[in-house]
Amino acid sequence: MFKTILLAASADHACDNAAKSAFRLADLTNAHITVFHVLGMPAHGFSQEVIDVKTGEKVEASEEYISWVKEEIKIYYAKQFEKTKSFDIKIAVGMPYREILREIKNGRYDIVTLGGTSKEKISVYKKHMLGSTVLRVAKASPIPVMVLCRPSSSFLKNISSILFCADFSKESDAAFNFAANLAKFFNCNLDIFNVADISPVFSKNIIEQDEIDSQISAAYKKIEEKYIPHTKNIIKTVANVCEGIPYVEIVKYAREKNSSLIVIAHHNKENENFGSNMEQIIVRSASPVISINK
Amino acid sequence: MYSGKLCSKEPVKTKEQLQALLKDTRGKTYYKEMQNLEVDTDLLWKTIQTTLNSRIKTWLEICSRCGICAESCFLYLANDKDPTQIPSYKIQSTLGEIIKRKGDVDNAFMQTAMETTWGKCTCCNRCAMYCPNGIDTGVMFSYLRGLLYQQGFVPLEMKIGAGMHRIYYAQMDITDEDFIDTFEWIVEEYEKDYQGLKVPVDVKNADIMYTVNAREVKYYPEDLAYAAILFNLAQENWTVTSKGWEETSLAMFAGDWEACKIQVKHVYEAMERLKPKRMIGTECGHAHRATVIEGPYWMGRKDGKPPVESIHYVEWVAEALRTGKLKINPEKRIKTPVTIQDSCNYVRNGGLKDITREIISYIVEPGYFVEMEPCGENNFCCGGGGGFNGIGIYRNHRNKGLTVKRDQIIKTGAKLVLAPCHNCWDAIRDLEEEFKIGIKWSFLKPLLIDMVEIPESMKPAS
Amino acid sequence: MYQFLTGFMFWVSVSIFFIGLFVRFIFYFTGLNWRLDRVAYKSYPFYGIKGALKSVFKWLFPFLTRVWRKHFFITIASFAFHVGAVIVPFFLLAHNVFIRGKLGIFHSIILNQLTADILSWLVVIGAVILTIRRIVLPQARILTRGYDYFILFLAVAPFITGLCARYEVGNYSFWLYSHIIFGEVFLIAAPFTKLSHLVLFFASRIQIGMDFEIKRGGMKSKNGMAW
Repeated sequence: MFKTILLAASADHACDNAAKSAFRLADLTNAHITVFHVLGMPAHGFSQEVIDVKTGEKVEASEEYISWVKEEIKIYYAKQFEKTKSFDIKIAVGMPYREILREIKNGRYDIVTLGGTSKEKISVYKKHMLGSTVLRVAKASPIPVMVLCRPSSSFLKNISSILFCADFSKESDAAFNFAANLAKFFNCNLDIFNVADISPVFSKNIIEQDEIDSQISAAYKKIEEKYIPHTKNIIKTVANVCEGIPYVEIVKYAREKNSSLIVIAHHNKENENFGSNMEQIIVRSASPVISINK
Repeated sequence: MYSGKLCSKEPVKTKEQLQALLKDTRGKTYYKEMQNLEVDTDLLWKTIQTTLNSRIKTWLEICSRCGICAESCFLYLANDKDPTQIPSYKIQSTLGEIIKRKGDVDNAFMQTAMETTWGKCTCCNRCAMYCPNGIDTGVMFSYLRGLLYQQGFVPLEMKIGAGMHRIYYAQMDITDEDFIDTFEWIVEEYEKDYQGLKVPVDVKNADIMYTVNAREVKYYPEDLAYAAILFNLAQENWTVTSKGWEETSLAMFAGDWEACKIQVKHVYEAMERLKPKRMIGTECGHAHRATVIEGPYWMGRKDGKPPVESIHYVEWVAEALRTGKLKINPEKRIKTPVTIQDSCNYVRNGGLKDITREIISYIVEPGYFVEMEPCGENNFCCGGGGGFNGIGIYRNHRNKGLTVKRDQIIKTGAKLVLAPCHNCWDAIRDLEEEFKIGIKWSFLKPLLIDMVEIPESMKPAS
Repeated sequence: MYQFLTGFMFWVSVSIFFIGLFVRFIFYFTGLNWRLDRVAYKSYPFYGIKGALKSVFKWLFPFLTRVWRKHFFITIASFAFHVGAVIVPFFLLAHNVFIRGKLGIFHSIILNQLTADILSWLVVIGAVILTIRRIVLPQARILTRGYDYFILFLAVAPFITGLCARYEVGNYSFWLYSHIIFGEVFLIAAPFTKLSHLVLFFASRIQIGMDFEIKRGGMKSKNGMAW
């Protein structure tokens, strides 16, 4: 399923959860793992002073420093590396999200894994940027992006079911294919889930229950037509639609179903909506979330 | 004559030399070698005799030594009115002294001169406006930079920067392929958001040829995407060139006049090859100065103009907003107290003060714009001009210098500082990092992207 | 002695003064180089002249430029000094009578005694203030060398001696001789010392005016360079 996995992480606790999932995924799929660490923005000109993303301190991005960082990462993930088929460590200098995207572009990765960043250390470099590294990578990445911020009970130990959040867009179709393939590969259940968004009620736009009902039945029909025909080789596929605030319902549903993985499409149409929904799911979900862009 | 491996009179000529310099952390070896560098006094005097003409000679001679220039210099003010920071003192004790001694100066003298030249003057030319005798100390320091560069007494980063231009025709190690590749890659990321977005490469006879700052390619490729989006929104017939796309010139900061010529020639060749109606450079001050204002003279162009009409990005923005090519959604205009940092290189030395104010009239809700005091041609340097931002050994000098800009900004009460100049942008970012005064700063492009109305035809497909 | 000073030396010093300064003025401009200075001096005559005139004019009168307004005190002192120093030698009655004897020219603008006295005193007072300023202000002190005091002395000495002669303090002929000698020393020294700023001030201002107007944005901003 995956040959190479890119783990974009600094060797600290903020990334632990994502790292664990990435290594587990590498284990499951017998993949090569590349740990990618971005040192930060260089001070100007050609002075090699960079602001370390992890510590926020000014450091010299000399060869010695870089090899020291590599060594740190090696020690930090020593246990995991033991079990991994093969791995390598790469260091880059620049704006983290940009360098991650550059690495994705230049390398041949099948999936990229990201962790959260520790909020209190946000450096001045980020202040003028909109959105987080995760959202920016998710928006532009041509490969699936797996994110996990919270500790998970399973860390993919047992992949029993995959939750696919459908929204019927073009990107969503791609996400479905990916989710279906995963379900086939891991030989597990697939939950197809759609939420009829009722968030307009908060701006006092009352939605009639009839309208919600018709939305729900339309969604069922779409799932039936679009996705179910492609689920023949999956052991069990369940479709479910309900009304609510999308991210709340998705997180709730994933918990209920004990989903091992959540697959969600990233699409640009409702950019802002996506941003907040996606972010909320990532922040709240106890399962890794995979975002698909194209 | 002694010549170090890293520090010598020879300019950087190979990639290997560049690598060696880049690897020299904090220039430890470089500056150590500089201790032994000998001054070629004959060459120095000969160069002065052939290049020093009546203008600078007269300036040095008729300087009344009245000290009026003192308060025009932000470094004098930032350093608690240290008399050794007076422009007149700085130039008389360096260039003045070299000429007085007919070039017979030693290593220690040259090192002090280097510190004064790159660590105590940003060539902002503000003093020129304040001297009754019309003496432009900035111009003299620029001349002195050339003399020092020739002798090898130049800060590490300047040596590297000039070397980059000699090898890559860009201020950073970015090849032509990297440039096009990055531009196309980044635009691809935005294709979904803006229908029909593309980067036209090497299109002949376009209306606009766009040139950039290599830092954008290396660290802020978003800026390239924004430029593409805005040109497309304005439905401009624009193009980028696969060769000669770099508008900046660190060689100018270094005083490497030969490299300046190499660099600007490359850009002019692109103009001549593609024959665009106009060249537009990115939001960078010194790039405009180098390619549009000084460049023609390095190339020996008698009319002092580049081969095709060349304008600064702010001029295009003002024009696009004026003519309605770009339309601002009035609801999205800036509604926080905002001020603008006038870049020395295209305001004091380029006359574009009114243009930026015109832009502000379109993008800022009336009542929210506050001028700095002083502003326009009289504005102080951001604190990082002339290469100051990039020089490691003078970082403390630079940080001290930032205090003037910091106090100016605090006085305006602005929460957002418009900085349509890479150097200013960097300096203001650094001053926020250093002093944490709680401001944001921005180029124009990202702000415009959020404000402009997108025509139906470019909205994302549903 | 008087004959020598007012005869031979008069001609020598006046010639040196005028020819010397003229040559310096001309050499300044022939010494300019559009490529080295990076200013297309000749390509834009209209802007060149406009920038040059503006740059000279604005600085020739007090308070027209930002600096003149900002440095109120020194502006007053400096203008007091310079106005008198330029006007008195040319328009003093005694000088006029003397020159008529030499050249047969007599111009009609003559300072009356009171004005001449006031202007001369202003020169002296101005010089004193400028000297004190050089001693007191750190930013002037660090720049000032003996040479600068010497130049100031050269400029003011004819006025001090002239005033002494005018008020007949002590020995009149001593002051008169001193006055003539210092006057001639001034004339001779002018082209060779910093006193050459008499003309080079204009030259330099013309250059910088053209520089900013032609090359550095004068053509692009509404009002040209705001001095």
